[in-house]
Amino acid sequence: MNAAAVIVVEGVSRSFGEVHAVRDASFEVHAGSVTALIGPNGSGKTTLLLMLATLLRPDAGSIRIAGHDPVADPRAVRSAMGWMPDVLGSWGSISVRRTLEITGRLYERSAAASRERAQQLIELVGLEPQAEQPTRVLSRGQKQRLSLARALVHEPSVLLLDEPASGLDPAARVELRTLVRRLAGEGVAVLVSSHVLAELDEMADAAVYLDHGVTASAERVERSRAQARDWRIRAIDGAQLEAALVRLGLAGTTTDHLGTSVSVAGEREAAELLARLVGEGVAISAFGPAVGDLEHTFLDLARGDAAGADPAPASTEGSER
Amino acid sequence: MSRYLDTLGTIVLLELRQRIRSVAWVVLVSVVFVLVGIVTLLLWASLAAFGNDVSQSAGIYSTVIFFVLLVGTLVTPAISGAAINGDRDAGTLATTQVTLASANQIVLGKFLAAWTVALTFLAASLPALLFTLIAGGVRGDTLAASLGVLVLELGVVAAIGVGLSGLISRPLFSVVTTYLVVAALSIGTLIAFTLGGLAFQSQQTQTYIGIDYSVGGEFDPVTGLPEEIVCLEPETYSYPVPRFDYVWGILAANPYIVLADAAPTTFDRNGYPQDLFGQFAIGVRGAQLTPDLDSVTDECAAALSGDPGAAFQQETPQQIFERTVPSWFVGLLIHLVLATAAMAGAIARTRTPAGSLPTGSRIA
Repeated sequence: MNAAAVIVVEGVSRSFGEVHAVRDASFEVHAGSVTALIGPNGSGKTTLLLMLATLLRPDAGSIRIAGHDPVADPRAVRSAMGWMPDVLGSWGSISVRRTLEITGRLYERSAAASRERAQQLIELVGLEPQAEQPTRVLSRGQKQRLSLARALVHEPSVLLLDEPASGLDPAARVELRTLVRRLAGEGVAVLVSSHVLAELDEMADAAVYLDHGVTASAERVERSRAQARDWRIRAIDGAQLEAALVRLGLAGTTTDHLGTSVSVAGEREAAELLARLVGEGVAISAFGPAVGDLEHTFLDLARGDAAGADPAPASTEGSER
Repeated sequence: MSRYLDTLGTIVLLELRQRIRSVAWVVLVSVVFVLVGIVTLLLWASLAAFGNDVSQSAGIYSTVIFFVLLVGTLVTPAISGAAINGDRDAGTLATTQVTLASANQIVLGKFLAAWTVALTFLAASLPALLFTLIAGGVRGDTLAASLGVLVLELGVVAAIGVGLSGLISRPLFSVVTTYLVVAALSIGTLIAFTLGGLAFQSQQTQTYIGIDYSVGGEFDPVTGLPEEIVCLEPETYSYPVPRFDYVWGILAANPYIVLADAAPTTFDRNGYPQDLFGQFAIGVRGAQLTPDLDSVTDECAAALSGDPGAAFQQETPQQIFERTVPSWFVGLLIHLVLATAAMAGAIARTRTPAGSLPTGSRIA
C-alpha cells in the first residue's frame, strides 16, 4: 500500500477503572482502503473506535487522524472524520430529511448546502420513501442507513463504521459493501468493525485483529494466515471423492452435508490437490476454503490465545502491562 | 461569533423540535391557559364583592404571576432534567458531540430550549395578564420587576435541570434531584426558617400598665375613660418567643419571596399591601425585626396623655417595609450562582474527548 496512512494508532490504551478495555493497539489505515477491525465481543473494538471518533481520551499512546490529534485538536479531526456508532440513536420526532439537514448545520454548512446534501444522501442510501417520516418509525435496517448517511454528511475523508451491517438484510448488505467500496475508491480511508467476518472478507483490503484490547502484530497475523486450513470439496459422486482422497494419502477428512473438508497448507497446495483430484477423474463441483480468510486468521489467533502456547510479541507485551 | 451562534441556534431548534412539537405539550399549555383564565375571572368576581377598586387588578396580576411561577417550577424540571443524560441514553448525544458543535454549545442550547419551553407557560398566561393591565392598577415598575424576576427564576430552574442532567447519569435521578432542589428552595426554606426560628428562642418580658376602672368616678361617655385615671400596678408576663430575626436570611433564598420582594408593592390608605407580592414580602420583611424583649404597654400613661389606643398602636406593613432591607437580590444571586455552577459542571462533563465517564454510563 503506497497511499498515505490517514489513521495512525500507536500503542493506544484505555481503561475504565479496573477494566482494561484497550491495552495496546497499533495500526494504520491508508487512504482509499477499507480496513476491517476484527475481534470477539468485548475485545475493545467500540472503545477503540470511540477514541478515534474524538469521544474518549486515550490513557496512553498516540492517535493521528488526517494528521490531527483527536485530543489536542478534536475539531480538526471531527471535520475530517465520519462516525457511524453501534448504537442507533436518532432524533425520534424529526424526519429523516431534517435529521440530515440538522447534522449538516451542526457541521457548519449553510442551510442551502445542508438541504442539498441531505437530498443526495437520501438517494445514496435509498431512504427516499421514508424521507419525510419521523425517524422513530424506521426499521432497524433503515436506521442503519440513516446512521451511515449521517456519518457522510460532511464528506469525510476518514470513515469509522461500528458494526454497520448488523440488522441489514442481504440485499442491503450488498448495497453497503458496494457503497463502502465506492467511497474507498474515491479516496476515503474506511475502518469497519464487525464480528460478521464473511461480510468483511468481501469488502476489506486489510485487517486489524483485536483481542483482549491488543492488536495482533503483522508477523503473527502472517503466521496464522499461513497455518494449514480446511478446504471444502464437493463432488458429483461423494464415494468417488472419498476413494480418491484415500488414494492420495489424505486421511482425517470429515464429510458433512456441505461436502468434504480437507486440511491444506496454503493456496499452492490447494491448487495442486485440485489438479490431482481432477487427474484422478473425480467430478468436482465445488472447491474452496471452508471459512473466509479473515475468519480463518481470527479463529487461529483466538485459538493461539486460548491455548496460551503462542508467545507472540504483541500479546505478551499486552499482558505485561 | 456568528458561526458559534448559528450552531447554538441549530441546537436550540433541534431541542425544541424534539420536545415541544408534541400534541401532549399543546394540551398542557392549553390547560394552563384555561386555568389562568379561570383563576383570573374568579378573582375578579370575588374581589368585586369587596367594593370595586382598580387596585384589585394588582391583586389579580400578582396572583397570576405566582401561579405561573408555580406551574413553571413544577413543569420545567421534567423538561430540562433529562436533557443531556436522556440523549446519552437514546444514543443521540455522541452523534451530536462528533459534529463541530462544542460541549458548551450543546449544553447552552439545551438550556435555552428548556427555558423557552418554560416561558411558553408565561406566554399562555399573557392574555390574563393583559386583562389585568388594561383594567389598570398595576404599576409599571411592579410589572417590570415581577416579569423580569419570573423569567429569570424559570431560567434558573431550567439551568439547574439541564446542569443536573449532565452531572447525573440516570435521567430519572436527575429529574428527581431537580425537583428536590426546587422543593428545597420553595418549601425547604420555609421549613428551615420556621424550625430555625423556633430553635432560637428568647424570653420576652411584657409589662402592662392598665387603668383601674373600679375607681375614678364616672365614665366619660366620649372617651369611655373614668373621670380620674388611676393606674394599676404593672403586670409582668414572661414567655419565650421565636427569633425569626436570626434566620430570616433563609427565606431570602425562596423563589416566591424573591419574586415578592423584588416587585414594588402598592399600599392602601392604611398602609396595607394591595397585592400578593406585598403580602408575601411582608413575611420576610417582618421577620427581620428584632422582637422587643422588654416591652412595656402603658395604657394608663397613654390615657393620661389623651389617647389610650396609642399604647396598642402597631406598625403598619408599610412602615415595616420602610425600615427593613430588601433581600431579593441576595436570593436571586444565590439562584444564579447555583444555576451557573450546575451548567458549568455539565459543560465540563459533556466535553469530549472524555477523560472519565459518568459511572455506569455508555458513552454513545
